Parts: sequence; structure tokens; C-alpha cells
Amino acid sequence: MITAERKPLSEIKEMIAPYRKILVVGCGSCVAECASGGEKETGLLGSALRMDAKSSKKEIEVKEMTLDRQCVYEFINQLTDVIDQYDVVLSLGCGAGVQAVAGVFPKVHIVPALNTTFIGETKEAGLWVESCRACGDCKLGFFAAVCPVTRCAKGLFNGPCGGSRTDRCEVDPDVPCAWQLIVSRLEEMGRLDLLRKVHPPADWSKQQGKGPRKIHREDQST
Amino acid sequence: MDQKSAGLNITIFFCQQIDPDQDTNRRALEKELGKRIRFFPLPCSGRIDPLHLMGALESGADKVYLVTCPEGACRYQEGNLRARKRIAYTQGLIEEIGLERERLELIITPAGNPVTVDELARGLLAREALIGPSPIRG
Ligand code: SF4
Ligand code: SF4
Repeated sequence: MITAERKPLSEIKEMIAPYRKILVVGCGSCVAECASGGEKETGLLGSALRMDAKSSKKEIEVKEMTLDRQCVYEFINQLTDVIDQYDVVLSLGCGAGVQAVAGVFPKVHIVPALNTTFIGETKEAGLWVESCRACGDCKLGFFAAVCPVTRCAKGLFNGPCGGSRTDRCEVDPDVPCAWQLIVSRLEEMGRLDLLRKVHPPADWSKQQGKGPRKIHREDQST
Repeated sequence: MDQKSAGLNITIFFCQQIDPDQDTNRRALEKELGKRIRFFPLPCSGRIDPLHLMGALESGADKVYLVTCPEGACRYQEGNLRARKRIAYTQGLIEEIGLERERLELIITPAGNPVTVDELARGLLAREALIGPSPIRG
């Protein structure tokens, strides 16, 4: 899932300051799971903005709406009938959601309420951790499903670095050493043989350097 | 001056385990104070959501209490601990809009000393008014 955190209210207020009618749009998928942009958070932000305006005697109108998914046209389309009534859209989607809505409504000013942070997993209630950097060339199959690109501070493909102490990363002792995890998991699985392979450096051209990446599937197109 | 004489609007969310007869017990006070007091019974204080607290403030409450059962007595184990965290989260949010965090307060009922919800509310109304009417009331 894509994780995100709400921006400070002061920053949000600055972006919407020139406008009077504000549509706050949440997203019911990733950012709902990480409790930053779902229906609840959209309601809270709407309520906070209304109260803030009222206490500073500013006249604004704030309405909330949450789409199931803010990055897919079929859902974004639900805004078509209402969006003209507003001066600005404050989006609680991830960066992709914000841009997807903007792409559909070129004349509408749309601003982000969240800072999109990383691709991660829910570890426990209230704790999300980064687990994938979307490198475009997944090597989890060699590494017992522990991503060295993301979870090893040095991004080593041929680790460990030798600096870990009692299974903790030497760069940050709060984090388990990814290579300790890789080796112990491979041992458990009886696949230590996978460690014999020497990996060339990652091919970063699959992740960056060519502008936005694209996936195009003929079989899925209409 | 106490909160009642100061004319503050009080909203009380409370765990209904603390008073099985809460429905009847709160009626006299509701009649006496009308809109100035609002009670919201919860099956467990852990069911409180920041949205409820914000909703209460937005609809004109000057002071919002969340009353939990005694520490360690929660029928659902950790509801009252969760209640504390939700209050803290919402206090952070209202501070961002310039409201005092004291507008939201957690009250933990003392163990071994059962109170009815109206006794409890009268106690709260008799407290010194440390904050004035909310700017949201307009
Ligand atoms: S806009 Fe799409 S990718 Fe972004 S949070 Fe919503 S569902 Fe996830
Ligand atoms: S190897 Fe690449 S795609 Fe696979 S989990 Fe790591 S960053 Fe993500």
C-alpha cells in the first residue's frame, strides 16, 4: 500500500487561503488503510477547517466526499457533477490520486492535504513500515522475501556488511539487519545455496532517469 | 465561577458500564439544562472516535468530557486506554486550529465508588470554569 501523512494544518490553510468553497476529497483505499486519507480523516479535516474558519470569522464552505479510489477514472468521475460548485479541491489521496483528479478536471485547482511517504505494510495497529522502493526489478526471490534495497541501510545485494550487532543494523539499531533476516530465513527454508549467487549492481534505469514509468498492457486496454 | 453558572455548553461522552440506569438518571438534568448539556452513552469509552469529539465542538460545545470506567475495569479490556489516546490525538488537532486542549478532557471514574451519570455530570458542572465560551459557538 501507499502510505501518507497529513500535512500540518498551517500548510494546508495557506494553500486554500484564496478560496471560499472547498471540496475535501478522501480516498478509501491505501491512505484509508494507513489512517491518513480515508473517510474518517476526511471528516476530521473538514471539521477542523470549518471550525478554524469560524473562530477566525472567515466565511468558507467546506464539504467532504470520499471516493473508493482516487487514482482510477471510474471513481474520479463521481466528482463530475459536483466539482463545478467548488473553488478548490483539497485531496487526501496520495500523489497519484491528486494528479489523477487534476488530469480529469484541467480547470480545477487541486491541492494535496497529504505528504505521500512510501510503499509499505501495516505492521501492527498504528505502525506502518516501508518495505518496497518500486525498483522495477524485484529480487525478493533470491533474498527470502526480505528486500535489501529498502530494508538494508546500504542497499547491499551481496551482504551482510559485517557491521550488524546482535541482529541489529549498524546504521540504526532500532532496525533489524535485513541481511541477518535474509540469512536466517534462507536457513529455515533450507535454501542457503541461494547465497552463492553473486548479484551485479541493481539496474536503476528500471526505476529512474527516464521520467515517469509506464505499464501498458494491450490485453487490458479497450 | 462554576461551569454551570458560566453558562458553558457541556457535552459528556461516557461509558455506559459506569451507570446501568443512565437513561433514566440523566433525564432530570437534560430537562433542566436543555441544549446546554448533552449526553452520549457509549458501549465502551474505547468506541469514541476523534470525529465524535470534533463533531461535539463543531456543534457548539464549550467543553467535552469523555468519561471512562475505572482503570483496569474495562469490560472490553483496553477500551479506556484507547479512549485516552483518542483524546490526546484530538487535542493535538484542535490545538492546530487554535482551540485550547482543555476543551477536551478525560475523566476516569474512581474504582470502588460507583456514581450515577447525573451525579457525575453535576460534579463536572460545579467545577471552576477555567475556559470561556468557545469561539466556534459564534
Ligand atoms: S489514490 Fe490510488 S494509489 Fe493513491 S491512495 Fe488512493 S487507491 Fe492508493
Ligand atoms: S527488490 Fe525492488 S521491487 Fe522487490 S521489494 Fe525490493 S524495491 Fe520492491
